Amino acid sequence: MDTLLSGQMLFAALVSGSLYALVALGLNLVYGTLRLLNIAHGDLVMIGAYTAFWMISLFAVPPIISLVVAAALCALLGWAVYVGLFRRMLAKPELAKRVEANSLILFYGISVILQNLAALAFTSTSRGYQYLDTVITWQGVSMTGNRLLTLGIAAAICFGTILFLRFHLFGWGLRAVIQRREAAQVVGVNLNRVQLLTICGGFAVAGVAGVLVSMTEQITPFMGFPFTIVAFVVIIIGGLGNIGAGVLAGFCLGLVETYGIALTSPGYRSILIYGLFVGVLLIRPEGIFTKAVRS
Amino acid sequence: MKNIGLILGVALAVVAAAVPAFGTPYMMGVVFQVAMWIALAQSWSMLSATTGYLSLGHAVFYGVGAYVCVLLTGTIPFEWALLAGAVAAAVFAAIVGLPVLRVRGPYFVILTYGLSELVRHVVMRIESALGSFGRMIFDVPRTEVLMWWMVGLAVLATLGAYAIRHSRFGAGLAAIREDEVAAETVGVPVTRLKLFAFIASAIIPGAVGGLALLRTSYFEPAQAFDPVISFTIVTMALVGGTETVRGPILGALGFALLSELLWSSLPQLYMIVLGLTLIIFILFVPRGLSGLFGRLGRAG
Repeated sequence: MDTLLSGQMLFAALVSGSLYALVALGLNLVYGTLRLLNIAHGDLVMIGAYTAFWMISLFAVPPIISLVVAAALCALLGWAVYVGLFRRMLAKPELAKRVEANSLILFYGISVILQNLAALAFTSTSRGYQYLDTVITWQGVSMTGNRLLTLGIAAAICFGTILFLRFHLFGWGLRAVIQRREAAQVVGVNLNRVQLLTICGGFAVAGVAGVLVSMTEQITPFMGFPFTIVAFVVIIIGGLGNIGAGVLAGFCLGLVETYGIALTSPGYRSILIYGLFVGVLLIRPEGIFTKAVRS
Repeated sequence: MKNIGLILGVALAVVAAAVPAFGTPYMMGVVFQVAMWIALAQSWSMLSATTGYLSLGHAVFYGVGAYVCVLLTGTIPFEWALLAGAVAAAVFAAIVGLPVLRVRGPYFVILTYGLSELVRHVVMRIESALGSFGRMIFDVPRTEVLMWWMVGLAVLATLGAYAIRHSRFGAGLAAIREDEVAAETVGVPVTRLKLFAFIASAIIPGAVGGLALLRTSYFEPAQAFDPVISFTIVTMALVGGTETVRGPILGALGFALLSELLWSSLPQLYMIVLGLTLIIFILFVPRGLSGLFGRLGRAG
């Protein structure tokens, strides 16, 4: 019981919660504005992680700088996907009719390609590096520098995005697109621009999350999928397209997971996550924190 | 032209019949693989092609069948174990069907995926709690016998898919695909039809899982419920074309041959080709190989 109530436990929960919130944030932004359930989202995390790994191993560039590189790389990928695939799909009436289901399968294809390209290029060996792993003790809670950095950066991006959406004109336009796409266009929101910038931003955030993950965990070409599932759980709990609630849900999942595992055993982690995923979808696909959602 | 699916199925059976006579075990293995993917893709199409509810979790039925079969082999003849696998998959579908089929569109797609993964992790947990790290099976039937069973399942699945499409039942499913709300309004019993289609699409994968298990004579939950199985089924069916019965056959034939060429030597390359083909077909050939051939046939 003592360990459950310790600050140590809370810190661990906050770190993983902030990461989940960050990964889900990108997925949620892309879903909200493009109606695109990007099942390859976790693979962007993987790309970010490998970027950081190679930058530090080959060029001795610290992850704090790789954050920018990974973000740029993933943003570029977002641009390519939007221009190369998404617009093309919308242009075909037979595909646009069922764009959500079709895009899901399409992105599953992309996910498989990314994973296996990474496995071909980097082999399936898990890799890692050490960065800021000195222990800092504060008020009896021991923290490593890299975890502290993860929490700080992830939380800053999440809350920064929420503030941006609330107070910046572009953020208003983005929220308008999420709420009512057609009406937003009528009042002069440039849908194309909002969608393009959002997909770049959403992908970039996933890349950043990948760099953060690589500082504390081993990375493999197939590490991305669990992140996709976690992000789905988070945004389904928070409500698809509901950005603020999604961040809250991310932290909640971090708490539930950390304490759930502490009470049982680490072997139950996957069952817990997938169980939540299935349970939430079955009970309320439109989200738990939302009041109502328009189709 | 109309019955080309049936003709293809019969042709395949004839080819398969010729193989044991002068074929090598390797050839029988290839026929086994091709028939397996045809059976799986046709079963998938019974639900997903007819109703538009794309299932990305058919590996779960395959896995349930394999698991039940591995638990039963040795105690009863393998034919009965296979039947038990099929029944178990159907029962599983009947239990989860009602809640799962309430979820629509993209949510259904990810839900089926998540459900399959959940069952995979639960079985893995059970197996490791039992202290088992993979189960070996002894006294498996000869490859030739297994191949015959698989070809039989492929023919059965093809006939089943054909029968469903050309029945009143299939017309109801098509109505659900076009507009579920409208279908319900005019009196189509949508819930019941969807559930029947879901169960129908689970039966044969259950038996296929059992057979595949007997062929490898080794059970490991991570492999039996491998999401790659689901992905391959969807890719084959979509590439072949979902509008006709011959579509899944064409898709399965193409990919099974590709897999023979690449899977053992370059598995990653095989997966990349699979993904690329899927993307190209969704974007440029939404009606699949079958639609492509149909158009060529009309033009010529």
